[in-house]
Amino acid sequence: MSKTVNGVAIDDTFAEAFGMSGTGIIITADTLKWARIAATVATGFGTSVIGCGAECGIDKELSPDETPDGRPGVRILIFGFSPDALVPQIRNRIGQCVLTSPGSACYAGLKADKSIGLGKGPRLFGDGFQTAKKLGGTRYWRVPVMDGEFVIEEETGLTTDAVGGGNMLILGTDRAGLLETAEAAVDAIAKVDDVITPFPGGIVRSGSKVGAKYAGMFASTNDAFCPTLRGTVKKTELAPDTLAVLEIVIDGLTSKAVADAMRVGLKAVTDIGAKRGVTRITAGNYGGKLGQHHYHLKDLI
Amino acid sequence: MSGLTLRLKAPANERLTFKDITPAKLAALSSHEIARLNVGIEKGGVALGDAFEISGTPGDVLTVEGATPTLDFVAFGLDSGTIRVVGDVGHYAGRKMTGGKLEVQGSAGSHLASGATGGMIHVLGNAGDNLGGIVSGDRFGLMGGIIVVEGNIGARAGEKMRRGTVVVRGKTGAGTGTRMIGGTIWAEGGLGPEPGLMMRRGTLIAPTVDSLLPTFVDTGKHDLVIVRVLARYLKSALGQLAPKPMPLFVQKIGGDTATIGRGEILLPAA
Repeated sequence: MSKTVNGVAIDDTFAEAFGMSGTGIIITADTLKWARIAATVATGFGTSVIGCGAECGIDKELSPDETPDGRPGVRILIFGFSPDALVPQIRNRIGQCVLTSPGSACYAGLKADKSIGLGKGPRLFGDGFQTAKKLGGTRYWRVPVMDGEFVIEEETGLTTDAVGGGNMLILGTDRAGLLETAEAAVDAIAKVDDVITPFPGGIVRSGSKVGAKYAGMFASTNDAFCPTLRGTVKKTELAPDTLAVLEIVIDGLTSKAVADAMRVGLKAVTDIGAKRGVTRITAGNYGGKLGQHHYHLKDLI
Repeated sequence: MSGLTLRLKAPANERLTFKDITPAKLAALSSHEIARLNVGIEKGGVALGDAFEISGTPGDVLTVEGATPTLDFVAFGLDSGTIRVVGDVGHYAGRKMTGGKLEVQGSAGSHLASGATGGMIHVLGNAGDNLGGIVSGDRFGLMGGIIVVEGNIGARAGEKMRRGTVVVRGKTGAGTGTRMIGGTIWAEGGLGPEPGLMMRRGTLIAPTVDSLLPTFVDTGKHDLVIVRVLARYLKSALGQLAPKPMPLFVQKIGGDTATIGRGEILLPAA
């Protein structure tokens, strides 16, 4: 039984999400502009663990008061299948994208019982000229670079209780209106701490199903939600007037953060409602057997 | 806040040692056992109860009143709780401390905080030579924790110091940071002559330095992120006791180039 809010039908279904490992990293620079640049590049090509190795995004911007060095900063989150899978992702992303960015510095962005190396790899760029400074329980590395020093904390926090794949599918009769609505939902989710929407602009247009007819393809197009295939495939999920479907995928450091993000995302969509051509909200799942976390839409509206 | 108070009855005829007298250790003893603890260093021994009036009940705070510079090893091995000293302490105060707080309302003798790995020491007066320095037989000097001295300190502070932070409101003596391996000494009143002899790593910060060794090299003016990190760390750890932040640009004097030369003396940029 679906429920209707503001003219938008909400399916009685659930988003099925998976346990992941996640970490947070604070990137600072002389200006917010340059902190954003480093953070954007470091989280690039980080949409899905399937092909990118990690799911990454910007959680929030930080004022100078909130960073360890009193400069403007950005907190990014990186999620992977396991702590071991995160190690090369952190090393390469920080080493190639943050170390290289003018004026940058890099600090732990998550306090947790477990930790994972942050500066352990990038410090070696110092070729023996790097020095450490331990203040309280925190060790900072100072790597000499051409514009001064790259300061990087040795470790950051790690959680293995992170959740990847919280999602909602938004269906509508107007592609432009649907995109605007999804953008509004992503903007609302961005205000929730500890979550990211790793896809381009936070929005996915290529929802996938598990498996494919081709060997070696782990995922392939979700034909049941493709409007151009309506009627030609065995099963379609789309009503005759549905023109497009957009998905928002949410990763979070905690299950609660993902639930909160879905709640504000759903509210943003239903607030805009039918007037921008949104007809229905549903969620992606695999029958509930694969993912440990289930987010029932009816509980979140 | 419960605690035991020890009041020195009369100036002792011999030096007294406070090794193993910490709030946690006293809390595990009966009042009878506490009074019988030996604080003498000579053959006959001096019972704690004979040298001090003991009042209060053992707790998180130990107060020593009427202390004199003949009292050595105060807060030796302190791991938790607070030792508050009204008066002066002798040598080796805070030696091998791992945590807790030592507050000295007078001055401290030599080798304050030698071999300490943690905790906080606050001295309202001056401190003697070898603050955070090495003791024969040890591998390193200070290895962690924060020391704040409101007055001046003696020579060779931080000798073979490896980690930790020393803040001195006054001036340091000669040879600050000799053979230093790491850590930070921030002297708000300036550094005495020839700091950092054979210093490998570590940071000395001050508004002025009396004289530099010829093996130290001016690397120029820099806007160092680590100085901001350090200032913020000290602000959060020390609050009002934190040193005033350095100007944005500092003159970095690198050395000692007679060894690997990764150490630094940071002065305000001219």
